[in-house]
Amino acid sequence: MVNKIKAELQAAFADLTIAEESYPQCGYHLSVDLKAKDIVNIASFFDERSFYLAVELGVDYKEYLELVYIFSIHSSLCKVKVTLKLDPSQPAAPTLSKIYDCAYWYEREIHEFYGVRFDGHPDLTYLFLHDGIDFYPLRKEKIPVSEKDKQELNSYSPAQRDDSLFINMGPQHPSTHGVLRVVLKMDGEYIEDAYPVLGYLHRMQEKMAENRTYYQFLPNTGRMDYLGAMSFNLGYVTAVERLAGIDVPARAHYVRVIATELNRICSHLLWIGAYLADLGGLSPFLYAFDDRENIQDVLEAVTGSRLTYCYFRFGGLYNDVDDAFIAGTKAVIARMRGRFALYEKLVGGNLIFINRTRGIGVIEKERARKYAVSGPVLRGAGIGVDLRKKEPYAAYPEMDFEVPTGKNGDALDMYHIRIKEMETSLNIIEQAIARLPDGPFIVEKAPKKLKPRKGDLYHVVETPRGELGIYIVSDESDKPYRMKWRVPSFSNLMIFPELAKGNLLSDAVAILGSLDLVIPEIDR
Amino acid sequence: MEKENLPPVSFAVLDQVLDLARANSLWPVTFGLACCAIEMMSSAMARFDIDRFGAGVFRPSPRQADLMIVSGTVTKKMAPVLVTLYDQMPSPKWVIAMGNCAISGGPFVFEGQYNLIEGVDKLVPVDVYVPGCPPRPEGLLEGFLKLQEKITGKRRFPGPVERW
Ligand code: SF4
Repeated sequence: MVNKIKAELQAAFADLTIAEESYPQCGYHLSVDLKAKDIVNIASFFDERSFYLAVELGVDYKEYLELVYIFSIHSSLCKVKVTLKLDPSQPAAPTLSKIYDCAYWYEREIHEFYGVRFDGHPDLTYLFLHDGIDFYPLRKEKIPVSEKDKQELNSYSPAQRDDSLFINMGPQHPSTHGVLRVVLKMDGEYIEDAYPVLGYLHRMQEKMAENRTYYQFLPNTGRMDYLGAMSFNLGYVTAVERLAGIDVPARAHYVRVIATELNRICSHLLWIGAYLADLGGLSPFLYAFDDRENIQDVLEAVTGSRLTYCYFRFGGLYNDVDDAFIAGTKAVIARMRGRFALYEKLVGGNLIFINRTRGIGVIEKERARKYAVSGPVLRGAGIGVDLRKKEPYAAYPEMDFEVPTGKNGDALDMYHIRIKEMETSLNIIEQAIARLPDGPFIVEKAPKKLKPRKGDLYHVVETPRGELGIYIVSDESDKPYRMKWRVPSFSNLMIFPELAKGNLLSDAVAILGSLDLVIPEIDR
Repeated sequence: MEKENLPPVSFAVLDQVLDLARANSLWPVTFGLACCAIEMMSSAMARFDIDRFGAGVFRPSPRQADLMIVSGTVTKKMAPVLVTLYDQMPSPKWVIAMGNCAISGGPFVFEGQYNLIEGVDKLVPVDVYVPGCPPRPEGLLEGFLKLQEKITGKRRFPGPVERW
């Protein structure tokens, strides 16, 4: 696939220099450096070949600004990094939002944080920030926002655009699970359009990453996605290990898998409880939390925390698991196996639930690709991509498991997928426990001070919500030069306006809930 | 009797009765901000069961609530919303700052930070601080007991044994 794409690229664009990169080191196969005018053609090239735009981001190298686009494809393993160099005093680039819908959102983000103008972009208003912040936060130097730019950023006032009825859902709304605000444009009871407004929980994680050493940033990862803290922790440590070339003992790999899968079950359980509560059924909440508490007890005993885990270290684990952990995990597996019948009775077979979710928020395959959704939302749409299988890390290559996939892509499918994923997780844990090797749980000479090689890396892992991509640029110091988090909830949220259009207001809750959003992860 | 000789009307007893009633039926507003909100949810669920202390009726509308649990990071963008919510709550009302973020900005304070309110007490008066990142549900429950103590002047249950 990689060679084919390279040949096709060369045939289509004669004067292009395409470099082959080492995938194990960088996380992508090809890299292409472009002039700004070519980016639209290249994007169409990838679009025609069913690639999706995994992430678009900016890096400030002081002499120039760089835009990085990562193109990837669901059907096989082939990733291409495309870069654009921009003039830092007047950064401008053409927009890709007409080709890839997700670019619309990424470009708004880059515009706010770097001041890059995207020609032809329909709406460059504030998405994360607000007018109290009058410089571009992710630029290395403090560059004030010009008056003209500020006006444009601030021009968001939907009510002035036309005289429809606008309803604010959030930022304090019980069913947005956090502080998400969605402005809904209504036509009677029906939604005409939806505009998510983000940043109510923007905690400057990416800026912070540039200010701390690799070690110091570790606890932050669990606070980004607090429901899938282990996955974020794992993503971060595996990314840095890959960048710095640290080996991890086999035992650590296995324990990582066990802990992450336990956490995944916790996360899905909370989703079930909260989603049903949104739809008006409170009792599943109580059952789900009861199960969750049991898992948390097991994890707490080895990690020391109940929620915001920081259990993994570069090169291994914080401490070893003991027999009590193994026994506890086995008890959890036995208990959870018996609970699925109960959930089926309580939720899956419940007529009210089925009627509220069947045929609601249907995602088609093509749309899923254009928005680069991932995780259960993508699998619900019928694309059975799981990064644990596609780009395995930790001990996943040795695990044997299925990837549950939906047929209709509606909210009901997502429920069934998440239930099945919990069963899958139980199977994985069982295999990992059965084969848990002895030996050290952390490399003997775990580096005290980390100074990875110069260069960049795009590393992905599968979190409970989907594809987490971590892009790190290292300049050989002990702090990352730039760290971008491509978070799954952000891309899953982008598709919401499309899904909500034409639906009833009460269905907006059902659709939003089915995407399983974690707001601090979106806002970072 | 002459007018001056009337005994002064005292509502002290009535106030005490009311305080007792208030302390035992605190209604928190459903207002989760970040990670700490999940632990707040945990404390309302079966195992920790905040209902035992009369505070289980989470209200989605601030107008029906008299307690705000600030459970998470308060950003500059969120600050006006939070203040509005507080203003909409009828008096008497109380605030619990749950977690380090709400107390002082917690783990997200660094030089040059641009989006954080370093402590919710810069916006609204706070009655009880519950430290932790996140605090355990037991911690929040202890915060409730402290608040009840503050309202009635009496502690209902024996306090935790000081060990350090
Ligand atoms: S105090 Fe810790 S757990 Fe609570 S919101 Fe802040 S970061 Fe999250």
